[in-house]
Amino acid sequence: MSFLHNAGTVAKYEAVILRRSWFFRLFAVGALFIFTFMNIGLFSPVGDQPWELMSIPSTIPLINLYLLNIGQAIVVIFLAADFLRRDKKLDTNEVLYTRSMSNFEYVMGKTWGIIRLFLGLDIIILCIGLLMNIISKNMSIDILSYFEYLLIFTIPTIVFSLGLAFLLMSVIKNQAITFLVLLGIAALDMFWLWYRAGSVFDYMAFGLPVYKSGVIGFDNAGAIIFQRLLFFFSGIALVMSTVLIFKRLPQSKVHTSIAVALLFISIAGAAFCGFRTYSTLIGNSETRKRVTETNRLFENRNFPVVTEASIDLIHKGESVEAGAYLKIINNNSEPLNSYLFSLNPSLIVNKITAQGMDLEFKINNHIIEIRPLSVLLPGSYDSLKIEYSGKINEAYCVPDISNNLKDNINRIAMLNVSKRQFFLTGNYLLLTPETHWYPVASLNYYPSNPARIKIDFTKYTLRVRSAKGLVAVSQGKRISDSDGFTFTPESPLTGLTIAIGKYRSDTLKVDSVTYIVNYIAGNDYYKKDLTELKDTLPNLVSGIMRDLETSFSSRYPFKTLSLVEVPVQFYSYSRQSTQTRSEVQPSIILVPEKLSTLENAGFGTRFKSQKKRMARNNQVITDKELKIRLFNDFMRENFISGTNTIFARDNRSEDIYTEPSRYRLGPSFYFYRNNFYSSEFPVINAVFESHLQHLLQQGPRTGYLSMFGSLSEIDKANLILRTKSFSELLAENPKGDTIRVVLGVKGDWLFNLLRSEAGIEDFNKWFRKYCEDNEFRSVDIMKFRNDLKERFGFDFYPYLDKWFNGRQQPGFMFSGLKVNEIVVDERSRYQVTFFASNPEAVPGVFNISFRGEGPGGSGRQGRPGAAGFSPEGPGSGQAFMQGRGMEASDIEKIVLLEPLESKIITLITDRQPRAVIINTLFSRNIPGEINMPVGDIIRTRRNQNNVSSAEKIVSSSDTNDSGDIIVDNEDPGFSSGIETIEAPLKRLFGITNRRSKTYMQVGQWNIPEYWQPVVQTSYYGKYVRSAVYKRAGSGDRPITWTAKINVPGYYDIYCYVGKSNDRRRIRTDRGGGPGAPVVPEGEQEESRFKDFHYKVYHDDGIEEITFDYENAEPEWNNIGRFYLSKDTAKVVLSDQSSGRLVIGDAVKWVRVE
Amino acid sequence: MKIEICGLNQIYPNGNHALKDINLELGTGMFGLLGPNGAGKSSLMRIIVTLMKPTSGVVLVDGLDIQKHREKLRGILGYLPQDFRFFTALKTWEFLDYSGSLAGMKNRKERIAEVDRLLDQVGLLEVRDRKANKLSGGMKRRLGIAQALIGNPRIIVVDEPTTGLDPDERIRFRNILSQLSRNDVIIILSTHIVGDISSTCHGMALLNKGDLVFNGSPENLVKQAEGHVFRMNLSPHEYDIVKEKYNVISTVPVENGWEVQIVSDETPEFRATAVIPNIEDAYVYYMEHKLQAYIID
Repeated sequence: MSFLHNAGTVAKYEAVILRRSWFFRLFAVGALFIFTFMNIGLFSPVGDQPWELMSIPSTIPLINLYLLNIGQAIVVIFLAADFLRRDKKLDTNEVLYTRSMSNFEYVMGKTWGIIRLFLGLDIIILCIGLLMNIISKNMSIDILSYFEYLLIFTIPTIVFSLGLAFLLMSVIKNQAITFLVLLGIAALDMFWLWYRAGSVFDYMAFGLPVYKSGVIGFDNAGAIIFQRLLFFFSGIALVMSTVLIFKRLPQSKVHTSIAVALLFISIAGAAFCGFRTYSTLIGNSETRKRVTETNRLFENRNFPVVTEASIDLIHKGESVEAGAYLKIINNNSEPLNSYLFSLNPSLIVNKITAQGMDLEFKINNHIIEIRPLSVLLPGSYDSLKIEYSGKINEAYCVPDISNNLKDNINRIAMLNVSKRQFFLTGNYLLLTPETHWYPVASLNYYPSNPARIKIDFTKYTLRVRSAKGLVAVSQGKRISDSDGFTFTPESPLTGLTIAIGKYRSDTLKVDSVTYIVNYIAGNDYYKKDLTELKDTLPNLVSGIMRDLETSFSSRYPFKTLSLVEVPVQFYSYSRQSTQTRSEVQPSIILVPEKLSTLENAGFGTRFKSQKKRMARNNQVITDKELKIRLFNDFMRENFISGTNTIFARDNRSEDIYTEPSRYRLGPSFYFYRNNFYSSEFPVINAVFESHLQHLLQQGPRTGYLSMFGSLSEIDKANLILRTKSFSELLAENPKGDTIRVVLGVKGDWLFNLLRSEAGIEDFNKWFRKYCEDNEFRSVDIMKFRNDLKERFGFDFYPYLDKWFNGRQQPGFMFSGLKVNEIVVDERSRYQVTFFASNPEAVPGVFNISFRGEGPGGSGRQGRPGAAGFSPEGPGSGQAFMQGRGMEASDIEKIVLLEPLESKIITLITDRQPRAVIINTLFSRNIPGEINMPVGDIIRTRRNQNNVSSAEKIVSSSDTNDSGDIIVDNEDPGFSSGIETIEAPLKRLFGITNRRSKTYMQVGQWNIPEYWQPVVQTSYYGKYVRSAVYKRAGSGDRPITWTAKINVPGYYDIYCYVGKSNDRRRIRTDRGGGPGAPVVPEGEQEESRFKDFHYKVYHDDGIEEITFDYENAEPEWNNIGRFYLSKDTAKVVLSDQSSGRLVIGDAVKWVRVE
Repeated sequence: MKIEICGLNQIYPNGNHALKDINLELGTGMFGLLGPNGAGKSSLMRIIVTLMKPTSGVVLVDGLDIQKHREKLRGILGYLPQDFRFFTALKTWEFLDYSGSLAGMKNRKERIAEVDRLLDQVGLLEVRDRKANKLSGGMKRRLGIAQALIGNPRIIVVDEPTTGLDPDERIRFRNILSQLSRNDVIIILSTHIVGDISSTCHGMALLNKGDLVFNGSPENLVKQAEGHVFRMNLSPHEYDIVKEKYNVISTVPVENGWEVQIVSDETPEFRATAVIPNIEDAYVYYMEHKLQAYIID
């Protein structure tokens, strides 16, 4: 009792003293102020109420304590410092030290005093959050989570921080050094340690995923508990160490013994929890390694194809029991001596039977190797039953990911969320095909070729039994009876998904498709928000589906489309074998609970804010119309065309890119419907998928990606492919969006090749039918090759070897663009002619479209009758889709140029073109999209009935034979000086800046202080149309062009101005489609590029020339005539300017005769 | 109740021998520790109040070794350190409450009553809600003594309590201590101000450079100086001679010269009259003459 009294007394007055310290007051007042405003701003009815935070009630305590915890972890360091500072002034504390209390009581009292002070502050801030939670009508309240997060964040962080601070103060005894060490540790956690070694260093839970679902609660309660206890115990151990080395003579042997015991118990506890935390990570990586190694053993073996599967599943709390009856066929050319299946390694196979007889089988980790009763001949069928039970091993599902938490980060706002591949609890179950919860006749990962995939189209029948009150959701027609649920097949599927939970459902049948929304009881908030849409919903849904079908040139292949609400922690990793994420399954989309992370899902809030905005702008719109708009936005942004922005940074580079929304319905139109496979080119399915599902973003970057200076996806891919072949790149398993953009470019190239020879319309029509005929079937690429050859007489297969294994890229040069206005059949038409050559040793394909004059602006023109719905749609922010998908309606012509071939291209168009846009697809050209503005149009009024689009092979190549000397910034004669501006600290830690990127575009901010190469179609260059630019400086970083003069004489010197005289469309995120207003391109840069200062070195000395870039003409501008003798000529551009930027491109010396 | 100090030595890591074989016995009442700065008073006190462990020797309280029974000793101890500055964030009463609570007063009501009683006793009741940084120097010392007294300690150790106090405060302080000394408590008063001892202490020790050079009653100390303190009236010229030759205790200017008081083993010239020494005279005599002789021996 005396312990409680003494420690309580110390705690009480320590708390009083700290509470009255100016530092704590400042922190507390600041925190109260900030958090009150943050809570009001985010959660109150007058706040923003972002749906991703509003949808799940535990977010309020989570975000409050997450942020507060970071502040506290730092503040506690300063407050704990007081511990030593005051104790060092011996006379002050000696009056207390001579009192009858033990050191244990004193230190514990101090610790508790500080903890309770922070707890008090946290509770006050939580109360503010709770108040907002109560008054915000859109949110439910999860009161338990308020306590849970207090235990997760506050207690372990403060105990650990205090313990560490106390001990360091006692040992180091130098306040300044201790501060530095402690702040360093805090900073290290936030910037470097949190994602390493599976969170074992993350003492403030900075990156620990602790998001709590409203459906299943914490998905990783064990992991959270162990990780937090690790720091709680470590903190206690540090506090006990402080007790033992405390500079006061001890008085109680009992308390000293307790402190020693607690020290050892805490160390043991911390070691155990640390081991558990770390071993989960190690265990996961070992599982992945094992899976990969096992797969390696089997990747060259033949697997059967499962045509039918009937699965009985019993959901038994945290495990399952199942029997799978499988009908298989041998589609291989050789007989099968054994049947191979993959099954999640945590599921134990109990028995395998066929025709009532037990079959022998071997288990190798997750591979079941079954000896059949007899050899299965090619084309023969067999059936067998596999009975198994157990749990699911998550690491198995994604064998090729890293353990680093930072890779593939899953965040809601700033909060890390777990990346669960399945759920298996007493109240909830979610198993996707990726978990291999039933025997699958393929490998989940092919180590020697990660892009490979084997797809079976199987008819699944599923019978499910689970606890009372739980409802099963899966593909197929559902029948429920007293025994459970039965799902009978409606169409063959590539995989089966099962979810069991407290599901309710709403059904809507439109046209031939049944739409089902499976929501967790109580989560159907949207019904209230979109009540008015009830009667128009069928029309809206039907419209969206029709648009999708048009866009993908095929009908929706399934009878149902279900949205299934799943816990927010469900996450799919990107894979190399497919761009389809596991959120989208055949006929099912797994959406996060309460649609929390989906774009535009907060209908109520959006309705209010849009209504207000419209009222401000005097726009009149009915509530219903507005809700229709919101609904359409929601559907398009998530299921049709949305993108997510990814910020990625590793030690070597930083990157920002967009990837398609993972909920897009595209896979329903190819990946889950058709399959093309090739043993020689295993990437073929991924390439078809990328092209046919429109996964590559065409055209230059828009929105803030362009402001960051990001390159277009095509350019990014072509730069990657400069040094390595497609197959080499795949083997490297690169991070980020590399695979996606490369697949996109390669896919577009392949399909453009096919169309170039078969004809755009004819190929599209034929291919559409081909896919329909082969719906739910796997097609060997050799069969496709033969069928295509038979139809069009063109064999694409010989091109594939270089396409897949070749390192070389084609390169295109274009020149001599002429446009004549001619009369054909009494109609005025335009004949466009230009010269194109491919001087490289590999064949190349490019496509051509026009930007034309027309009503409403200068949108790209499409071929008549071919215009369809763009999957991006108006308002998606992506205006171009040249050469992509089956409905690339804007392409006039696709041209194949064999190695070293040159052609004169002639095209006839009805509308007056303003520019010719060439997409060079896979090539050395950067930027890959070349905009050739049309200058003067020559009118030929003669009737020319026999003119048509044509390609004529010519022998000449386009070379500069004029004798002019041109030095471009890509040439050896150009120098941008030495760049040594990296800070020593940055170099020490290996931090690099954006200079690691080869090319960029001129950005809006973060303008480099060094000469950064940038690309734009209007710049000068052979393949790479580049220039270099930097922020205007003091003139100490000039760039130089030098050339060898062979013939002395007078030379006119020109500098290249990479300005386009074209007008370009403003693309905005909203309504930036055709018809948007235009501004001259130059005007945007007007204020940024002004006076440039050149120095020309000539025989009479150096001439300084001020060049008015702002008002200069595009392309070559004469800066003077000088006499140059036989020597090296030199032109220097200073980085000094009154404008913001300086840009340098090419310099030309033209001899004056 | 008694404190026995046996063979106490304190040697600091820097080699400073702060206490040299100290043997003392203290009974109830007030005991004065006198000595110049650096004599070892504070070291001795810090050992007695268990802030420090002696290099050797023991301190026994009623026969119990305080190093082995720290809990017991600290339970009956009140301590006022030399440079007492307490947490400025606390109010006067709060600090006393803190001390009282740690002194074992668990009942809050009784504790608060005691706090107020003590505040009244030291004349701080009016400022009970005032924060420490708003108290004057004297008030702070009074609060210091109040905290040393809370919880009815049986041993009170006060280190240089009157330093920096004005005469009124000092008298008031002495009175508080002498009142306390009537109870069955041991008060150890360490000071280099001799006057603090004379009026109140029944026993005293004189420390010099770690040695115990005198242990006895103040009267004994005074007695040793009897016949060695002289007063004389001197002309300025004579004064210069006397100043060179003798230890001058006090000098008062008078008409045509100075009235000077000196200590000396023999009767000096210059019309000197022996006077009855007080304790200060005795201290000077002792330190300057007895001790010199002792060192020479």
